[in-house]
Amino acid sequence: MASNKAARDGEKIWKTNVDKVNAELVTLTYGTMVAQLCSDFNHKYGEVNQQLDKMGYNIGMRLIEDFFAKSGVQRCGNLRETAETISKIGFKMFLNITPTVSNWSADNKSFSLIFDENPLADCVELPNDGRAQDELWFSNIFCGILRGALEMVQMQVEAHYVADVLRGDETTEMRITLLRYMEDEMPPDDE
Amino acid sequence: MVVYSFYIFDRHAECIYKKKWAPRPTSTGSKTQQANGLADGAPQPKALSAEDDAKLVFGTIFSLRNMVRKLGGEDDRFISYRTGQYKLHYYETPTSLKFVMVTDTKTNNLRIVLHQIYVSLYVEFVVKNPLSPIEHPGGIGVNCEMFELGVEQFVNASLMS
Repeated sequence: MASNKAARDGEKIWKTNVDKVNAELVTLTYGTMVAQLCSDFNHKYGEVNQQLDKMGYNIGMRLIEDFFAKSGVQRCGNLRETAETISKIGFKMFLNITPTVSNWSADNKSFSLIFDENPLADCVELPNDGRAQDELWFSNIFCGILRGALEMVQMQVEAHYVADVLRGDETTEMRITLLRYMEDEMPPDDE
Repeated sequence: MVVYSFYIFDRHAECIYKKKWAPRPTSTGSKTQQANGLADGAPQPKALSAEDDAKLVFGTIFSLRNMVRKLGGEDDRFISYRTGQYKLHYYETPTSLKFVMVTDTKTNNLRIVLHQIYVSLYVEFVVKNPLSPIEHPGGIGVNCEMFELGVEQFVNASLMS
């Protein structure tokens, strides 16, 4: 039920409340950036992944405010609700995609997002240098974005890709694990 | 109506923006207050520095908010409180940003106004300004001309009239 409502809300916000840009512009800009990072870091893909994650983190911390300003969503009660909101409202609102939430762990603390489509990776082929296919997570910026955004709502998470169609896998799958809910910070003592 | 002051606190309990308009009246009893401040055993309210003021405000809303949650459940929140002299309005975003406005007692609920400041001023001019830092450690605070102008205009246009 909640998931239907999230889907409806997402659709409505996407239609009425969001400025759109050309998808190819996004794909090309992102692609260029990754390519530049690859050459800056001498094709050490581990470091490229790390950089992408870091950039995403900084984006996420800002994006979450825009997300709340535009969507008017309230705080989620549990991780399942959070997952639905990320997929059906968050991704919908900013990218017009709704990744599928699945593979819940038994303790309800981690789940997967399966991306059927990925605007960042349209028309992308990983370089054929024998390493990129095994080491580069092309869309790793998403992991950082989710990590940054969720941190702002007091959830510390760990996010990483476990499969990517660009690498020849059957699906693109990101694994997200809730580490802990963060406590309210207290003001420092005066004396 | 009169707006006395406006504060924003971030999730690290840091006051990242404050602005004062008309000075808040301190209780004006029938007796004239004396300079030594201890007339009739009642300490005279001292003028606080702007920083102390912000700390006090934060302490108040922090405790009040926690108390409200204890009594009314996790989703409960306080909206405003009123004293004989002023009314304090409160809005907290899901990202733990806290917006506080202190006005005279006759003012209606300003929750929507505070939300509006968040959506159309704070997010637009502070969050989306790529050169403005995301966190404001050490009390540097929001230093963004567009935002300040916006707040000024907004308050003058919609509240002070």
